[in-house]
Amino acid sequence: MKRILREPLLHFLVLGGALFAVAGLVSRGDRAGRIVVSPGRIESLATAFSLTWQRPPTASELDGLIRDYVREEAAVREAAALGLDKDDVVIRRRLRQKLEFVSADVAARAEPTDQELRAFLEAHPGDFGVDPAFTFRHVFLDPSQHGESLARDEARLLAKLRRAGAAADVAAEGDPFLLGHAFDQLPAREVKSQFGDRFAASLDSLPTGRWEGPILSGYGAHLVFVHERIAGRLPPFDEVKEAVRRAWAAAQREAAIEKLYATLLRRYTVTVEKPPPGMAADTSFADTAARKAAPPEMRD
Amino acid sequence: MRAAASAIIAAFVLCFSVASGAAAAETGSDVGTLDKETAARAFPAKPPYSPYAGRSFPTRPYFGDTHLHTSYSMDAGAFGCRLGPRDAYRFARGEEVTASGGQRAKLSRPLDFLVVTDHSDGFGFFPMLLAGDPKIMADPQGRKWSEMINSGKGAEAAIDIVVSFGKGTISKAILPVPGTSAYRSAWLETIAAADDANAPGRFTAFIGFEWTSNSGGNNLHRNVIFRENGDKARLTEPFVTMKPYGSDNPRDLWKWMTTCEEKTGSEILAIAHNGNLSNGRMFPIIESFTGKKIDRAYAEGRMRWEPLYETTQIKGDGETHPLLSPNDEFANFERWDKGNLDLSEAKKPAMLEFEYTRSALKNGLRMEAELGVNPYKFGLVGSTDAHTGLTAVEEDNFFGKTSSAEPNPERATHPWLKAPSGAVIMGWEQTASGYAAVWAAENTRAAIFDAMKRRETYATTGPRMVVRFFGGFDFDAKDAQSRMPAVTGYAKGVPMGGDLSAAPAGRAPTFLVAALKDPIGANLDRYQIVKGWLDGKGQIHEKVYDVAWSGGRKPGADGKLPPVGSTVDVGNATWTNTIGAAELAAVWKDPDFDPSQRAFYYGRVIEIPTPRWTAYDAKYFGVEMPKETPMTTTERAYTSPIWYTPPGAKKAG
Repeated sequence: MKRILREPLLHFLVLGGALFAVAGLVSRGDRAGRIVVSPGRIESLATAFSLTWQRPPTASELDGLIRDYVREEAAVREAAALGLDKDDVVIRRRLRQKLEFVSADVAARAEPTDQELRAFLEAHPGDFGVDPAFTFRHVFLDPSQHGESLARDEARLLAKLRRAGAAADVAAEGDPFLLGHAFDQLPAREVKSQFGDRFAASLDSLPTGRWEGPILSGYGAHLVFVHERIAGRLPPFDEVKEAVRRAWAAAQREAAIEKLYATLLRRYTVTVEKPPPGMAADTSFADTAARKAAPPEMRD
Repeated sequence: MRAAASAIIAAFVLCFSVASGAAAAETGSDVGTLDKETAARAFPAKPPYSPYAGRSFPTRPYFGDTHLHTSYSMDAGAFGCRLGPRDAYRFARGEEVTASGGQRAKLSRPLDFLVVTDHSDGFGFFPMLLAGDPKIMADPQGRKWSEMINSGKGAEAAIDIVVSFGKGTISKAILPVPGTSAYRSAWLETIAAADDANAPGRFTAFIGFEWTSNSGGNNLHRNVIFRENGDKARLTEPFVTMKPYGSDNPRDLWKWMTTCEEKTGSEILAIAHNGNLSNGRMFPIIESFTGKKIDRAYAEGRMRWEPLYETTQIKGDGETHPLLSPNDEFANFERWDKGNLDLSEAKKPAMLEFEYTRSALKNGLRMEAELGVNPYKFGLVGSTDAHTGLTAVEEDNFFGKTSSAEPNPERATHPWLKAPSGAVIMGWEQTASGYAAVWAAENTRAAIFDAMKRRETYATTGPRMVVRFFGGFDFDAKDAQSRMPAVTGYAKGVPMGGDLSAAPAGRAPTFLVAALKDPIGANLDRYQIVKGWLDGKGQIHEKVYDVAWSGGRKPGADGKLPPVGSTVDVGNATWTNTIGAAELAAVWKDPDFDPSQRAFYYGRVIEIPTPRWTAYDAKYFGVEMPKETPMTTTERAYTSPIWYTPPGAKKAG
């Protein structure tokens, strides 16, 4: 068997003499060494076969598997010794993937304690919490309906609404507005999505219990009566535990990758030389290293 | 008016109370006897403070994308996409992500829902190819593509992959197929990504896939969407087009869908797209697979499984074509009409009729008269079909069709597709469009899915304008001034996607229309109603009516409303909202109604002109665009139609 293995190698030796001279020094130990096919290895070869063929291998098939494994092992050792893996994009990517996968998987598989999850929940209230909400009514003024007299109309209407107070009949004032005039406990994210960020920010700063305005949105001007501002809150732990656990695992995975590179890169001095003319890199390596380190989504 | 509103509210409360009472009586005595006093407490005379409390109708539309590819789609991966489904959902939820090309990307505001729809054929092929899976490397074709990608020729590999797929010449040895572990793991990961991202009430992540029937390069693609969660979707694997595992014939897709619903217990629906690249096959009268006339079974299958059509996306707008609608001055919009998907066959004018939304709706009327079923009774959505994992089609935030077309100085001026015949589609022809708007009562898988099934949806080319469209026989002018058009609309009519019949003697359909601009977008130019109808001689017609518009314009002698003008400064890629209106509302009555004729009506809302994505690119990168490049656009929304069917006319003709 050894003789057979050596034949293609000899072929290679003739072709790549110089390369071999260097590689030979490094890999002498391996080639002088032995290839041992352990019972455990034989069992795993048989198992892999069974998974594909849905039956155990026959004696001659097993013999073939072992024979092929020996070839593979010898080929891999020699190829590695010759440095054939060094410039292969597929192998490099695969190795990186495996390293990242192992690091991330270990981190995500750890079973978190309730205490850890509670701490995670408190640190990320925005992801699980109930948004602050607003109960408010408004009267809309469409600038294209008022033109020059917009400011005057706003002032007059505001005075009228203030006289009426909370009881003001919003349905009878101002211009029609497709999304409605009265909102009951509308979450802040909904205020943003329906009225835009500027209106949402203004709403947050208005006093409650009186007509205010005009405050502006992408639609036009609004006179607003905030009845109630309901503070955001964290739901009870048990209600969101499962979601927290999922998010915790995802965060662990991400953190593990970041940590992996932070630790790894400490061991290296990185020098990025000037890019060739016409190829501008507009961020420094230090800025982008951490972000670029995140792996593309990939299954094993 | 106030009194009228109160009366309607009272009518609503009464309806609910009667219905609930009946239900209570049916459920038996274990709920106690409903006496007058209890009833009064349950249904107080004074309506609740919030006019919307207790209503089950939708109060706001949810915006999303029903069609997005990630690296799990083999062509997307080949073009350089490295983002997977999890990244796609994160981006849609409003988080910042790093695009495949390395640029940071974020939406102006979160979307409400997303369906990741990777190609079911070769699901997960690309991650395998990238990882150098032994099975792929052992195949000459797989090896060739892998080497092309690794030597920086990803774009050429992508074209080769797309073309090979179109021709069915991808080696069977390397495509993961249903039943294999590679295929299953890709599907399970797609499901897990959706389930993890789904947050009822905040963000809906649907499970889905694209069935990419593409024989001869002719686009018959459909996206399939699941209503339920992963526990149901895991009971099946996507339907493919590759034989013998699947089929490229939509009839077989419908058969599979029937079995799938039975097997999984999850309702599903399919949405077709890009009829403009089907070369006359998307909305056939003669079936391309058999050469025979569409029969009743086809019509029933299509109507049962395909309630919606994706009418606008990056590969062009599909509402109508100037040759089909010569009198419609807004018809020439983001046209892709050079050929089929891979440009292997040039377009002929005779094909157009079977490719576009409006002509399909029209032909559907005639086919219903003949078959008793209308195969083309669909509602409308827009979506992106981006192959980047990024649902980013705002004009100033457009991340392109493929990862190679993420923002860069050359993306507009380079050819997007070159055919051997010499035909070319240029990069600038990509359309930054569209999104799906759904009138659902809440943001959940079930509510949004159900709204899609009842076609209460509209398409937008990107902006998030709010559009209402109600039809009935009783709307009058003052309903347009209503503070709560939805209350009036639902009480007196049907919403978009609905049906009208049995016109009262001497009455014509009336429509309550209203539109509100995108809160961070451009003002509105006009609201139009497009009508199609079948006359007594079996001829079909169409007409576009202006029904609401901004700024005191008067239609000219030819009946046409003058253009709204333009404030676009192309050089600086800016515009101002000094023209147009924030809100438009009107009640319109069909002046040409004949109660014996089938008809459909849909709404079209046009924005004032704004800079097209090419203008933002020119400004940002300081590049000169080819002179034929459009630099402004008029964004728009298309509602699902409302159909009028004469009573007892189902099988007349």
